[in-house]
Amino acid sequence: MKIISMDVMSTGAVAYYVVIASREGLFTPILGSVQKGAYADPVPQAVILTAIVIGFSIQALMLVGAMKLARNNPTLETNEIEKNNTP
Amino acid sequence: MNTITIAWVTLPFFVGFFIYLFPLLDRYLALGVALASAGYASLLFAEKSPVSLLLVDNFGVRLYADQLSAFFILTNALVTAAVIFYCWNNGKTTFFYTQAIILHGSINSAFVCADFVTLYVALEVLGIAAFLLIVYPRTDRSIWVGLRYLCVSNVALLFYLIGAVLVYQAHNSFSFAGLRDAPPEALALIFLGLLTKGGIFVSGLWLPLTHSESETPVSALMSGVVVKAGVYPLVRCALMVPEVDPIVRVFGVGTALLGVFYAVFEKDTKRMLAFHTVSQLGFILAAPIVGGFYALTHGLVKSALFLIAGNLPSRNFKELQHQPISTPIWIALVIASFSISGFPLLSGFGAKVLTSKNLLPWQAIVMNIAALGTAISFAKFIFLPRGVTENNTKPSFWVAVLILIGGLFIANIVYYEAYTWENIIKPLVTIGIGWLAYLLIFKHLVIKLPRAIEQFDHLIGVMTLILVFLFWKGFAWLGI
Repeated sequence: MKIISMDVMSTGAVAYYVVIASREGLFTPILGSVQKGAYADPVPQAVILTAIVIGFSIQALMLVGAMKLARNNPTLETNEIEKNNTP
Repeated sequence: MNTITIAWVTLPFFVGFFIYLFPLLDRYLALGVALASAGYASLLFAEKSPVSLLLVDNFGVRLYADQLSAFFILTNALVTAAVIFYCWNNGKTTFFYTQAIILHGSINSAFVCADFVTLYVALEVLGIAAFLLIVYPRTDRSIWVGLRYLCVSNVALLFYLIGAVLVYQAHNSFSFAGLRDAPPEALALIFLGLLTKGGIFVSGLWLPLTHSESETPVSALMSGVVVKAGVYPLVRCALMVPEVDPIVRVFGVGTALLGVFYAVFEKDTKRMLAFHTVSQLGFILAAPIVGGFYALTHGLVKSALFLIAGNLPSRNFKELQHQPISTPIWIALVIASFSISGFPLLSGFGAKVLTSKNLLPWQAIVMNIAALGTAISFAKFIFLPRGVTENNTKPSFWVAVLILIGGLFIANIVYYEAYTWENIIKPLVTIGIGWLAYLLIFKHLVIKLPRAIEQFDHLIGVMTLILVFLFWKGFAWLGI
């Protein structure tokens, strides 16, 4: 549950970048023969691409960790896991 | 110099992947990278003007390296080298060294970058590498601690990311200098990310459990350098944008007190050291100009202490008091404890003097209390019984500790002007009072502080609270 909520948060951050990028215009900034008008800002989109990839890999890593934990704590309740593992 | 910089930043990542192809050479390759970093740091010290680089166009990667980064890089190099020596004959697999070197490389790049996106990438890579090192034993507890760390740092960096785009919107570039034009909410978000990542004040309370439950070499790495990667950008921002300097100082003082308060009452060696890290980070932030030297001293001494504490027979102070430890270990422990309490002849002294010179008047009293707390908490180590001659520590342990403690002695020379009578007497008095207080009061005191605030849910909640606090109080009050 926590992992999913973290994913939702990162989706929010990604969406915010996209919104900022498209404030000036909506068209993709690709050179072509037709002049389209207002272009979207490519820089935030380029940056958030890195963040998406990183977020995705962290997600995968955390799920693997959760799988390992699930072997001994099948319910995966964080409160219980925390109680067992704090000295 | 520019080419050297780029080659040096990329070297650890290349080597990190190559280690897997040459598993027999893993330790040598890893050590070579650490030495390369040390060499680069000394080059940087010799350089008069800071190295500033802008790769690929205006939106590209910005690197900026000067003496401040040189101190941090040197810390990183020495601590990594010591940890590799420590693990020399421990039967660690190639995987461990790969992660250690990638961690080393990402910390290096965090220490030289000057724009928010590069910093973000460096911090995320660092988080992943640190996570893999924490879960290396693959027990349930280590996995839980690792997951907790990864989740907290990732959430903090998401806040940071939103702050970064706000800076971009205001300044059309991601460079640190753009912080000046940024709206207060951007400042609040970015600072929250860095404070959490750097383990500062209440948002940094994930740190004690993480540092104390990892393996000995990993805690040494984490406490020695990993948290500094979050602190360095704060120091850099405070130097580049003078308006945020007061806020950084306030957090420095707050965290110095909070950490030392917990450390004094702690009964577990590794947890005490971890809480003490929180407090020492406060010292670094309290005087950003000289933070580099303090970071070097603290990195060396704290990793030495973690390595030594890992070799004590028990982790509980109560048991240790009835269980004599071998004399060589005791000597190493005492040298390290003396340095961190600011005893003359060791670099902790120079660092403390330098920091207290650069404090603002209102900070001085609080920092003196924090220094007193340091003396009290380390009296616990100094007054441990000794005398057993049997020695079962490995030679690799001694090589590692010698590097770190030798570094302390040598770093002492950097600031030899500190040796005036007034400066020498002050720490001696502080240490004296600290020891008295320990022997008379704290040794007999049994207080268990509640740990509720360290629970996972509260860690995330506290982050939001700090965010609100930063936004309303901090920046509204500063009027940026």
